[in-house]
Amino acid sequence: MSDSAFHRPPLVLRILAHVIAYGIALTMLVPFLWMVLTSLKTDIEAGQPPTLATLLPQHGWQWDNYRAAMSGGRLGHFYWMSITVAAVTTVLAVTHNAMAGYAFAKLRFSGKRIAFWLTLVTMMLPIQVFFIFAYVICSWIGYVDNFQALVVPFLASGFGVFYMRQAISSVPDDLLDAARIDGMGEFDIVWMVVRPIVWPSISALGIFSFVNSWNSFFWPLIVIDSIEKKTLPLAIADLANNMYFSAWPQTMAAGTILVLPLVIVFFIAQRAFVRGVAMTGMKE
Amino acid sequence: MGRRNGTAWAFIAFPLAILAVFVLIPTVVGLSLSLFQWSGGPLWTQADGWRLPVWVGLDNLTRMASDPRIGAGLRNTLIFVVASVPPTVLIAFALAVLLDAEWFRGRALIRTMVFMPTIVSIVAIGFVWRWVLDDQAGLLNWILSLVGVTDPPRWLVEGWWPLTWIIIVAVWRGIGFCVVLYLAALQAVPKSLYEAAALDGAHRFQVIRHITWPMVRPMTAFLLITGVIGSLQVFDLVFIMTGRTETLRTTVLNLEIYRNFTYGSYGYAAAIGVLIFALTAIVTAGQLAWFGRGGAR
Repeated sequence: MSDSAFHRPPLVLRILAHVIAYGIALTMLVPFLWMVLTSLKTDIEAGQPPTLATLLPQHGWQWDNYRAAMSGGRLGHFYWMSITVAAVTTVLAVTHNAMAGYAFAKLRFSGKRIAFWLTLVTMMLPIQVFFIFAYVICSWIGYVDNFQALVVPFLASGFGVFYMRQAISSVPDDLLDAARIDGMGEFDIVWMVVRPIVWPSISALGIFSFVNSWNSFFWPLIVIDSIEKKTLPLAIADLANNMYFSAWPQTMAAGTILVLPLVIVFFIAQRAFVRGVAMTGMKE
Repeated sequence: MGRRNGTAWAFIAFPLAILAVFVLIPTVVGLSLSLFQWSGGPLWTQADGWRLPVWVGLDNLTRMASDPRIGAGLRNTLIFVVASVPPTVLIAFALAVLLDAEWFRGRALIRTMVFMPTIVSIVAIGFVWRWVLDDQAGLLNWILSLVGVTDPPRWLVEGWWPLTWIIIVAVWRGIGFCVVLYLAALQAVPKSLYEAAALDGAHRFQVIRHITWPMVRPMTAFLLITGVIGSLQVFDLVFIMTGRTETLRTTVLNLEIYRNFTYGSYGYAAAIGVLIFALTAIVTAGQLAWFGRGGAR
């Protein structure tokens, strides 16, 4: 509450408020700190009930756990899978969504209403209803257990198109008309006039797409069978289930490896990131 | 400007095709499949000839009504929704109001910290919490032992504790997202309202109750509706945290869809999907009515 009009509450209340807020925030952080600390312990150390003295690794920091997780679980391979899928999906999806968004925002054409309505409808359909036949279609065209199944269905999204349409709507029409009078084609207009103006929205949608792709679990679980082609979350889920109880440090190392890229991107591009994830607030 | 059919359709053709092939058509077929028995595969092969879905009418529905796993899944899903969504939204509102106060120090830091679980893969979250709740070496039992609890239950095995912890973790994970959206909504509340209330001698909590809360009501409606829709579809968290033990105390509808799908019972899985779809529609309509027309805008 922005309450310049109010007197500050008494000191006790202010302290209490800080304690509560920082307390909640701390519970968000502690499990991850615990994950990182565990990942640096020996198996025996990690398996013992913790005490204050053994919170930190006692027998040297076991960076080998990371090596073991990377080589034993061949996480390098899965990393590459996940990064490729997420990067290809993000770049192509944002491009397609932006172009469709431009058409819906700025062009007049036959069939616009029905096309836009169909696009919006896709945002409201739960995956539980459509994944079965989407899987069947993928199996018919040979996508199952293939890279394509992780990429092609995500090359456009109703939400992405809608979001880009909203962003591009704010670009002044005069600017586009001026470009047309100068003889620019529609594609050049999108690339050279619209893109720079809506870049914050594009980067937010890009981060949103990347996070979704990187973290997606259900669909890859459905369409990928062979170990070779799994994405990082699936591979780590397998790995962790296999070594459950036996090697928590490696599991936690794998978890840290999984989380690290997004956390790094998060801290570098926090503003775009928060906007990207918070933009789902515009879905309605 | 005249019509630009060629260019416009060149821009939207591919996205529309993707949505049609992977979402729209599968939805229509998926809803219909609930009336058939089918296990996928090609419709026609040289060796076997035609292998079409078999019409069973409402058989899948009657089978669901007497299937204890569906009953349990429905019950657990509803418990999950009711016990996780309102607390998430309420805690987030309280936290956002605190963070928004002028005298609050470290708003950006707290926002960053509570947002962390939102970006972290549910796989990592599931395993971290399994480890925190571990019987032998878990962090939670150690903390409990410090305050004198010496004989804690086996959190992820005993009775209703697994579902309870799944709910707690869901709340824990969901708060950050709601806080960020609430902070944005709070920015939009006109300062003059607070000033007027102060002049009228309103108490701080009265202001929160009678000005702040009603002013962010559209955001609350949005968070509750999207929260409920998302929670009806809960899957990953249960899948990871229970280590696929699939007991009647933790199974949820979506897990039953997945199970039946992997067994090749596509029609039955589709029927459960229709149940989730219907629940989603009913709850959304109900909430929209509750918040008044246009309340979610």
